[in-house]
Amino acid sequence: MAETNMGPATRSAATGRRRFQFGHEALLLVLLVVSLSVLATQSDVFLTTANLLNQGRLMTEVAIVALPMTMIIVTGGIDLSVGSMLGLSAIVLGYSWQNLGLPLGVACVVAVLTGTAAGFFNGLLVTRTKVPPLIATLATLALFRGLAEGISEARSVRGYPDWFFRLGQGEVLGVPSQLWILLVAIVIAWIVLARTTFGRSLYAIGHNEVAARFSGIAVDRCKLAIYTASGFASGLAGLIFVSRVSTTRSDMGTGLELDVIAAVVLGGTSIFGGVGTIVGTVLGFVLIQLLKNGLALTGVTSDATIVVIGTVLIGSILLTNFIGRRHRGDG
Amino acid sequence: MGPSAEYRAESAAGPASAGDVAADGGQAVAVPPVIALNGIGKSFPGVRALDRVSFDVRAGEVHALLGENGAGKSTLIKIISGVHRPDEGELAVDGRTVWFDNPQEAQRAGIATIYQELLLFPDLSVAENIFLGHPPRGRLKGIDWRAMRQQARDLLGSLAIHDLDVEATVGSLSVGNRQRVEIAKALSQNARVLIMDEPTAALTEHDVERLFSIVRMLRERGVAIIYISHRLEEVFLLADRVTVLRDGGHVATKPVSETGHVALISMMVGRRIDAMFPKLPATLGDPVLEVRNLRRPPVTNGVSLTVRAGEIVGLAGLVGSGRSELAQAIFGITPAEGGEILIDGKTTAIKSPGRAKALGIAYVPEDRGTQGLVRPMSLAQNVSMAVLNRLFRGAFINGRTEAALAERSVDQFSIRTSGVDQIVSKLSGGNQQKVVLGKWLAAQPKLLIMDEPTRGIDVGAKSEIHRLMSELAQQGLAILMISSELPEVLGMSDRILVMREGRIVAGFARDAASQEAIAAAMMAGSSKGEPADAPLPMAVGATP
Repeated sequence: MAETNMGPATRSAATGRRRFQFGHEALLLVLLVVSLSVLATQSDVFLTTANLLNQGRLMTEVAIVALPMTMIIVTGGIDLSVGSMLGLSAIVLGYSWQNLGLPLGVACVVAVLTGTAAGFFNGLLVTRTKVPPLIATLATLALFRGLAEGISEARSVRGYPDWFFRLGQGEVLGVPSQLWILLVAIVIAWIVLARTTFGRSLYAIGHNEVAARFSGIAVDRCKLAIYTASGFASGLAGLIFVSRVSTTRSDMGTGLELDVIAAVVLGGTSIFGGVGTIVGTVLGFVLIQLLKNGLALTGVTSDATIVVIGTVLIGSILLTNFIGRRHRGDG
Repeated sequence: MGPSAEYRAESAAGPASAGDVAADGGQAVAVPPVIALNGIGKSFPGVRALDRVSFDVRAGEVHALLGENGAGKSTLIKIISGVHRPDEGELAVDGRTVWFDNPQEAQRAGIATIYQELLLFPDLSVAENIFLGHPPRGRLKGIDWRAMRQQARDLLGSLAIHDLDVEATVGSLSVGNRQRVEIAKALSQNARVLIMDEPTAALTEHDVERLFSIVRMLRERGVAIIYISHRLEEVFLLADRVTVLRDGGHVATKPVSETGHVALISMMVGRRIDAMFPKLPATLGDPVLEVRNLRRPPVTNGVSLTVRAGEIVGLAGLVGSGRSELAQAIFGITPAEGGEILIDGKTTAIKSPGRAKALGIAYVPEDRGTQGLVRPMSLAQNVSMAVLNRLFRGAFINGRTEAALAERSVDQFSIRTSGVDQIVSKLSGGNQQKVVLGKWLAAQPKLLIMDEPTRGIDVGAKSEIHRLMSELAQQGLAILMISSELPEVLGMSDRILVMREGRIVAGFARDAASQEAIAAAMMAGSSKGEPADAPLPMAVGATP
């Protein structure tokens, strides 16, 4: 992929905008390649198939949740409760299997449904009460976590049967199972956001919600759908998480929302709404995971790693703004 | 890329003929004009906004600047007020060539601009707003509040404004009063040139008269005034000279006494407009919309009306009489709480705009910037916005289908754009309004509700929209038009209804309507008024 063409900017603003988007994604790609090559020289382990696949495994939960989060942020909203929804789903899984005696397969379904219902509740809160999403989901962040802790009574659940671990620890065709799920999720999310009328509606809502409503777009239904999707993704991620670490605890997923939002924003999605792509988000979470892992392997402490990631986040946004201004500036 | 790469002042200055025209227009004066533009050119990507325009304004004169939207008026005033730098040509103040790098320098040279959107701070007082940035200082460089209030009072007094409390916050003032504050603010900076961009667009009639007397007073004092307006009557009432721009070029500068309405309009649009409102006769069909006793207190208090296929019903009324609210109740944005809506004779419940759209209702809202368009998105994306689900039944967007739809709109409405990928916010007001129309006509509605369809757009676009409405009615579309411009209501409507305080208080057939009668119905008893003007609504319902 080439870098953005900085030639005579005489074409329409629309192409300028598309190039601006493309510019951010190209920038991330360059960053990705640079960090890959730098980190590869620092550690023998880093650039091996085994390590990279393992990193994919570790990344999946954040990645799956980041997909609907991209859509939510595109509409100008946010969902802070994803970590708590993940925790709640995990607890419901363990509780309904061990305490209620449901078959594990059924318990899995119940867990994902719980996450979905939690997301639906967020959606209702946002669309019906008109409480800003930041506040609404901050409240449910506490609410769902509290529920999880109440249900679990601080006990962890272990002893899942072996077949259950295939999801989080197994492989299909030599690739970690959950990466296949992630791949499917990415493709679906990309198609939905970039190619469908629903995705278009989300962009319209993000840019100008009033005009979207006045155009007959079912704004509330769209929002309800994406917050529900966020709950579903969190529930699914909870399932994968439990299967990966073989145990259920009520504090699972704490702080997940920050990793997710960082990946989405690094991917070029504007927190003000209207701008963002799934491709950007994918590049965002891959870059963050590789930086984390690469730096750890190089012997950088985890505190310092967070500093590096924060710096990359700020730097990429500044650089994109700079490029964006250049494009607009010659207009 | 460096700034103003194509600087060609020398080559342009010579052959500019427009300058000569300007000199011929007025009488030879020894004193140089306060502001003189010579061969000014300015380009934006893809658009030649100004093409070697010459223009001047003298002390003690009101110089009207006319032109359709997109003609270059805004660019011209932005160059005079230092917002833009011209690519070519020169700008002289008092005969000396100057070069403004920013608006502050223009301000220091005595040039003040009053924009359409007033730039005041609503939470600050009148006096604070007037002296913002240059307050009278007392000892120790502190602000001398008492002097500030006194000077503000004096300044307003000098404009014969005695009913304004200088300690009131600006947010609590009417639009007319805010504008007076803005004028006082300009004078506090010793403005010698006052640029007014559509100052009467949002004013009531009474405020317009007061504004005119202030403008005349300033002219007496020797202030040079550049006056931009779409309303030709104002030009004839106020201006001494008028300059017409078209497509970025200078068409003519003339003393107002030597020109007339028809001449000015034909200069603006480049062709003669015989009838401003080409309303064609249409055969009326069955009722498309029937509203019975529709209620959503406190703004909609029992409205009944009927619109037939092929009929244009004009809805007149003062601002705040509940017309837009009625439209939004019918369109499902704020669903009605009582009463009935019948579409094609069938009772329907309209709880959302989506439902209204499915029933064949389209609504072109009053405020195209916030309600009508998603301005950061492209023309094509805006045109398809109301028909996404119909255009793309499989939920997948096909860019080619979408572009084709947009191309059809561009052709049908002669939208001036660099392409269907153009971001809508870059279009002029008239073209933006055409995009809104295109978007709703793509939905092939049975009933079109238009809320102030031609507000703030230029004469040419206005005329085109009127012609289009007329044609659509001929094709059997039912149109409910809300308008605050009485000539428009009278010119376009088959039937005219007047709203006041959330009710319909009068109805007129086209032939029986007159400006006076409508205005009287709009205002009658507007203070408190008896709630049930029983006989009148009956007359309305009866009119076929």
